[in-house]
Amino acid sequence: MYRNKKAGMIGIIITIIILILIVIFSNGESNHSFFENVATNLVMPIQNGLTYLKNKISGNNTFFTDINNLKEENKSLKEKNSELEQSLRELENIKTQNETLKEYLNLTEKYGEYKTIPGYVINKDISNYSKTIVINLGKKDAIQENMTVIGDQGLVGHVVSVTDTTAKVQTIIDTASSVSCSMSTTKDSIVCKGTLDDKSSLKAMYIPTEANIIQGDSIETSGLGGIYPKGIHIGTVKKVTNTQNMTDRYALVETAVDFDKLDTVLVITNQ
Amino acid sequence: MKKTVINVCLSLTIILIYFLQANFFSWFTIAGIMPNLFVIAILFIGLFGTRTMGAIYGLVVGILLDLIIGTKVGIYSIGLGLIGFLAGVFDKNFSKDSRMTIMVMGVVATAAFEVLVFLLNYVFLATNIEIVNFVKILVIEVIYNLILTIILYPLIQKFGYYIENEYKGNKILTRYF
Repeated sequence: MYRNKKAGMIGIIITIIILILIVIFSNGESNHSFFENVATNLVMPIQNGLTYLKNKISGNNTFFTDINNLKEENKSLKEKNSELEQSLRELENIKTQNETLKEYLNLTEKYGEYKTIPGYVINKDISNYSKTIVINLGKKDAIQENMTVIGDQGLVGHVVSVTDTTAKVQTIIDTASSVSCSMSTTKDSIVCKGTLDDKSSLKAMYIPTEANIIQGDSIETSGLGGIYPKGIHIGTVKKVTNTQNMTDRYALVETAVDFDKLDTVLVITNQ
Repeated sequence: MKKTVINVCLSLTIILIYFLQANFFSWFTIAGIMPNLFVIAILFIGLFGTRTMGAIYGLVVGILLDLIIGTKVGIYSIGLGLIGFLAGVFDKNFSKDSRMTIMVMGVVATAAFEVLVFLLNYVFLATNIEIVNFVKILVIEVIYNLILTIILYPLIQKFGYYIENEYKGNKILTRYF
């Protein structure tokens, strides 16, 4: 049919495009504005440039006489601009400061009964198995081992070792961590352990056989075990897995804290 | 003198690797799994330097990592120390010039290290045994390390032969025959 295949393909494609365009333009007025926009956007920059050139050439005399004035104006404007930029930067600084302070305030209000010290996460673990973090508080800030660390949304973990200026925190998602918790509605006590599988979920084990575990139920610390104080929010039940044997059924608990984005924490100093 | 320079360079590399691992590779991950550049570094120190050098570097770096980030002192140091020693054994028995053997060594060293660390974690910290998840992490990490080894090998080789000449001198035979 065609002399060569390539030319044939191009011919077919062009035909299809034309067909589509005909169909669109022939059906309804509403599509016009869109195509008008596209066309204008394609043409206008060039048109603008040409107009600018034309004006420049026709107004040649004024162009050269004005150049000194323009230079002065430019200079003063630049100065003004740098001043404005300076103030803008200051404002931005103040804004971020304000936000962090607000965050701290919220946190301290939420856990008002505990005395807390705010700190930053300065290092995260380099291994795929353990999930410890390092915070910028240490012995100088009266941090001791086994103190509880909380975040904006809930429990983060506890301090395992302290240096003068830093403290190592074992998070609750670490596989070596297990927290004694209770379900907020039924008050049944369970144990939440970290898993290798997921960075945002815990495995709730040792669920009592008669206990009724509800999806979406809120989980908080039970106060048993001596490290974590009672009533700190941990997360919500995401999924309950029933096994053949009632004694080893387990549930997945989604942590309230997003450990990937964790950067400010509070250490509880009086418990 | 040259040996001092080499050791200073190696220490700087280790520090660089630490910062890479802590900052860059914590978001540049394959499905959330980080590679382990320390294993590669210690493997090559053991391969191109002497066996004792590998073991000592492994132990020192391991202890530092344990102190900086680990929960119990000993886990990383035992793991990396053994990798250094293993590298020395590899060096005696295999050629370093073939890309294939290097790749196999990288895979074996990474897998050995990870399994050892996992077992030590289980013994010391009473973690749960989760075989499926562990194998998943292991496989991805080994592949990631393998890719990095392939990318970095030409660079390491150049520096490595320099170290080897300095430390083993005229004892090297395999390369020329």
